[in-house]
Amino acid sequence: MTWPLVVYFVFVVVLVAAVIGVSYVLGQRHSEPATGEPYEGGIVSEGSARVRFSVRYALVAMFFVVFDLEAVFLFAWAGAARELGWPGYWAIVVFVATLVAALIYIWRAGALDWTSKPRRPR
Amino acid sequence: MIAVSTSAQEIAGRLGPAAIPQATHDRIPTFWVPKDRVVALLRSLKEEVEQPYKMLYDLSAIDERMRAHRDGQPASDFTVVYHLLSFGRNEYLRIKVALTEGRLSLPSITSIWPAANWYEREVWDMFGIVFDGHPHLRRILMPASWVGHPLRKEHPARATEMGPYQLSEDKEAAEQEALRFRPEEFGMRREHDGSDFMFLNVGPQHPGTHGVLRIALQLDGEEIVDAVAQIGFHHRGAEKMGERQSWHSYIPYTDRIDYLGGVLNNLAYLTTVEMLAGIEVPPRAQVVRVMLSELFRIISHLVWYGTFAQDLGQMSPVFFTFNDRERAFGIIEAITGARMHPAWFRIGGLAADLPRGWDKMIRDFIKYLPPRLIEYDRTIMRNRIFKARTQGVGAFTTDEAIEWGVTGPNLRACGFEWDFRKKQPYSGYDQFEFDIPTAKNGDCYDRAIVRVEEMRQSLRIIGQCVKHMPEGPYQSDHHLATPPVKDRTMHDIETLITHFLNVSWGPVMPVGEALGAIEAAKGNNGYYLVSDGSTVSYRTRIRTPSFAHIQTLPLLCRGQMIPDLVVTLGSLDFVLADVDR
Amino acid sequence: MQWSLTKPDVTGLTATPDPESFEQTVRRSVILSRLEDLVQWGRKNSMWPFNFGLSCCYVEMATSITSKFDVSRFGAEVIRGTPREADLMVIAGTVFLKMAPIVQRLYEQMMEPRWVISMGSCANSGGMYDIYSVVQGVDKFLPVDVYVPGCPPRPEAFLEGLLLLRNVVGTERRPLSWVVGPQETVRVPLPSMRDLLRPSRQKMTVLREPDSV
Repeated sequence: MTWPLVVYFVFVVVLVAAVIGVSYVLGQRHSEPATGEPYEGGIVSEGSARVRFSVRYALVAMFFVVFDLEAVFLFAWAGAARELGWPGYWAIVVFVATLVAALIYIWRAGALDWTSKPRRPR
Repeated sequence: MIAVSTSAQEIAGRLGPAAIPQATHDRIPTFWVPKDRVVALLRSLKEEVEQPYKMLYDLSAIDERMRAHRDGQPASDFTVVYHLLSFGRNEYLRIKVALTEGRLSLPSITSIWPAANWYEREVWDMFGIVFDGHPHLRRILMPASWVGHPLRKEHPARATEMGPYQLSEDKEAAEQEALRFRPEEFGMRREHDGSDFMFLNVGPQHPGTHGVLRIALQLDGEEIVDAVAQIGFHHRGAEKMGERQSWHSYIPYTDRIDYLGGVLNNLAYLTTVEMLAGIEVPPRAQVVRVMLSELFRIISHLVWYGTFAQDLGQMSPVFFTFNDRERAFGIIEAITGARMHPAWFRIGGLAADLPRGWDKMIRDFIKYLPPRLIEYDRTIMRNRIFKARTQGVGAFTTDEAIEWGVTGPNLRACGFEWDFRKKQPYSGYDQFEFDIPTAKNGDCYDRAIVRVEEMRQSLRIIGQCVKHMPEGPYQSDHHLATPPVKDRTMHDIETLITHFLNVSWGPVMPVGEALGAIEAAKGNNGYYLVSDGSTVSYRTRIRTPSFAHIQTLPLLCRGQMIPDLVVTLGSLDFVLADVDR
Repeated sequence: MQWSLTKPDVTGLTATPDPESFEQTVRRSVILSRLEDLVQWGRKNSMWPFNFGLSCCYVEMATSITSKFDVSRFGAEVIRGTPREADLMVIAGTVFLKMAPIVQRLYEQMMEPRWVISMGSCANSGGMYDIYSVVQGVDKFLPVDVYVPGCPPRPEAFLEGLLLLRNVVGTERRPLSWVVGPQETVRVPLPSMRDLLRPSRQKMTVLREPDSV
């Protein structure tokens, strides 16, 4: 019963191997001193890209996770909204209100600012 | 009205007999000042006198060792020349300092004008004169591994005198290593508050830099903490070339200084040469020069317009503006024979008269362009994204601009109404009616507004040229006008001899020096020419607007994000050949 | 916009076309070719230039990309900002001494197949800049396929250089794989256009006077 799936799986594996294999083999190659080095406008780069990034990237990631999970909870509640009735509604309102309060706090604390200096206003 | 004492009185008051005046062909007050008094004098000229000399216009040097006619000037092996500009007095001032070989150093003036930084680096690079107290005296135009100082008279000029060029793997590796950015050299920290800075090259090859310019950025995330601009990748030795070409055959080299400006460069150079020779250009030639110069101003601004919109992500306008440019080039080609580099002005006038039918072409163009400009207004200038990305970005105040030597539309965007065509008219500009557009904030949007409006004013001037084109000769009768009008050549032996000598050997300009400056498309473009009574210029110093503009880059882009940097670069409207010559 | 509908005049025309043979149908919809020819045809019609301009010639190169000259007709409007994705490097402008190592590095970072067009007098031979800071021609350190003369060359001249290069690319044989097969690039030696055009140019004895437009 599962043999079509097996055939499909084998076919996929063979296809991917063929594509990668043939494109590896085709074409010319050359290897000059700068060929393998990263491109940066024609000049050697200074420092690596694996630096300790500024913390605001991590903050954005963290806030994303928090608010994304909030959205997940909202979806979950929305699926069962009728069954949960009014008490469920007020529970979710409290939940969202807590997170909105958190959002206002981080907004005013400047954790969402991407640059340290705001633009000169027009 | 307060009687403002002349610069001569000011300097005499401060220095007494130590300051020696010199008469020059351009009637700019020129004084020789001893090395130990010059910094104090410059500081007082900038800060203390009435209507002070707020702008450092130019800082360069002359190698005087092979000069034959110095007539009354103090003895000097190398002369450092400071040009200052006072807006209040509407006057330049030239201060010269004599240096002797063996003691080629003098104090730096970067503490007075921060803009002197790159000028002094260039003088060090080209002449080997050391500026004590300069924060970072290293080569700017030549590669760091270069040995010798090119503008010295003993340095070979020709590449063919220096052996064939070879680029071995070792040499390649060494040069690239020399180009690697070392943050410590600029006093930059590598890390801050537990996170590292990333150093990124907006390299010499980059679509956003509009040429071969290298900017090394110190980035905190996506924010630019500091930037270092490195130029010299477009150095073609135009100043040294001037010492090898006759006054006449140098004209094509001027075309390629601001390669979008075409004839405007010829005008800047010839204004100075005609000042030296004492030639009066006939009215018809003046009006034709104005007409073609304004046409090239439009052409240069059209390139800026399309590429600026493209920098911001609007892919289409560049096709439209380049099409308009093709129309203008059709006119230029019909009149001068070439598109981008006409080299059509001559010493004393023009290369030839206008062809029959020129006025219809110009009238068609004047009718054709305004509706297109209105369309670009709608698509570019009123576009919400354009405005959001340019308003408030990359702004400087008028004082900062003057401090850094900014001229042209960038200065007018700050609100300062200064246009050299109105304030120091040349080539008959005082007889034309046109307005000077200005804006308020000095940010990228205002610079765009100023340039767009300048295009409209240029159309107005061209319209007046067509309506009031005078009849008459297109070339002056003066004996130094090159090439001389050929009518009498076939009849007079005198005219024939002069014609032959002027065209083959070159005209001999009288001894002296002069500075002639015009309002080029990008700012104030000045040629400071020193003549030693020969067919060849002794020293050709080209003061370009873009050199000063690029120097303001660190000031403008600290705290910006990288996309804002691209916008700022586009709004400054520079051309790399204008920066490095 | 004014428009109107017209019906074509079909009186006298037969509505049914002639019945086609099987071969004719196949010939219209199937192309039979050798692999190398197909590869050459593909390369020829989609040469992607590298967004690299040095000097004034770059402005004329950019002009040739805009609508009046339209390099897009030849498939070359896809300008790539990185050498990894570009096929064609046009050295548009003077090769400065300080830029030479950078040009070399960018050339090394381009992937095969790659071609070089030297555009303008300065790139061909140093041009009018026989000066200490200019390399006298990019062929001092790069292999050049086509030289386009001019200062700057008109966009049409650049397009002619591009067409000549396309002819080369359409007829040269490059190795299909770096693993097997012959490893040299075989190309027909290129004649000088000056020699080819000399007879027709020598016939041009009457030139238009520039006194009127």
